Amino acid sequence: MEPKLSSDLLRGHTDTIVLAMLMKGDRYGLEIYHQILARTGEQYELKVDTLYSSYKRLEKGGYITSYWGDETQGARRKYYRITDKGRELYRQNLLNWEFTQKILNKLLKEEDE
Amino acid sequence: MNTREYIDSLFSDYQKTSALEDFKEELKSFLDERIRTLVKGGMDEKDAFEKATSELGDISAVADEISRKKKQELIGEMYLKTTHYMSTWRIALYVLCGAVFGFGVIVAAISEYFSGDVNAPLGSLLVFGGIPILVFLFLWLTQETATREAMEWKRALLYVVTAGVFLFGVFVFLVTYFEKSAGLPYAIATLIPFVLPSSAFGVFLILTEKDRSKPWVIKQREEYMKRSLERFGDPVQEMRFGLFSAALWIAGIAAFILLTILFGFKFSWLAIVAALIGQMLILATFTKSH
Repeated sequence: MEPKLSSDLLRGHTDTIVLAMLMKGDRYGLEIYHQILARTGEQYELKVDTLYSSYKRLEKGGYITSYWGDETQGARRKYYRITDKGRELYRQNLLNWEFTQKILNKLLKEEDE
Repeated sequence: MNTREYIDSLFSDYQKTSALEDFKEELKSFLDERIRTLVKGGMDEKDAFEKATSELGDISAVADEISRKKKQELIGEMYLKTTHYMSTWRIALYVLCGAVFGFGVIVAAISEYFSGDVNAPLGSLLVFGGIPILVFLFLWLTQETATREAMEWKRALLYVVTAGVFLFGVFVFLVTYFEKSAGLPYAIATLIPFVLPSSAFGVFLILTEKDRSKPWVIKQREEYMKRSLERFGDPVQEMRFGLFSAALWIAGIAAFILLTILFGFKFSWLAIVAALIGQMLILATFTKSH
């Protein structure tokens, strides 16, 4: 059997994914989009609206901030930067996920490999 | 279609706010670059546009968070935007009338205090209260608003004259009522030359009134009718609701008049309150429970 990616499951973690992408530095909207596509081997059909509602939600909550870049040529890009509050949320979400994953494995794995 | 036009068309229903403009700018830069990337990957321009826009999903949902003003809500706001239709001289007149009215009320209060006579404040109210009310009425009727067209000035003048006679009639009634040598029977008799004909003509004017609502209001009203139909269940129920209410108010007003004659204003207003409570109860009974 071929494994398939559960997009629904991933979508539930969009905020944390965005925060994770920003942990190593500021990025602009499309950059994050491309990075997610690349890391999931283009298997995850991420819609832009999902991503942007996440940006807006995180920005509203004070977890990220945004600013217009000063590109001299080509279109201007809007960059996102993670805040301390955002880092804290990321770490907490990561802990939650690792914990949940353990429980989920206990619940799901019936057959021993 | 270029990306600018495409994005404009996506958000045409939303009110222009700086936050929304900023978001549109960001989205345009996103889309442009995404298309460029796809073209670089070997796609032709048209396919790249198609793919990039299909990846957007329900992007207007994001705009809901930024600029909550959709067309529907704008209509609601239009009800309040009357100042838009007011010329400077109208505003000046409104303000002047308000000031004169306030002056009338103050003078009436003072004269009541100093003279102790009821006629003094009444006279002051007739002149300084009555005239601004009539001018207000004229301005209001001939005022175009977001919801209705202005009334023709000749017809508005008829209303004003009718209202003037009515107000004068009320004034005469009150003066006669408080006059020691006259009293209530005489006061009621004064209703015949002034209040009665002016009321009759007023009713005639109101009944022959054309609907001056603007088209969008008429549409809204039809929607409201549809909703109220759902609320009452069926038209028969609604008719019964109307009949019950009418019966209640006839009884209420009759009780009011009777109580006024027997016990005076001190108690008779309770009849109106009772009728209001009854109306609420009828509405509650007839509203379909969900």
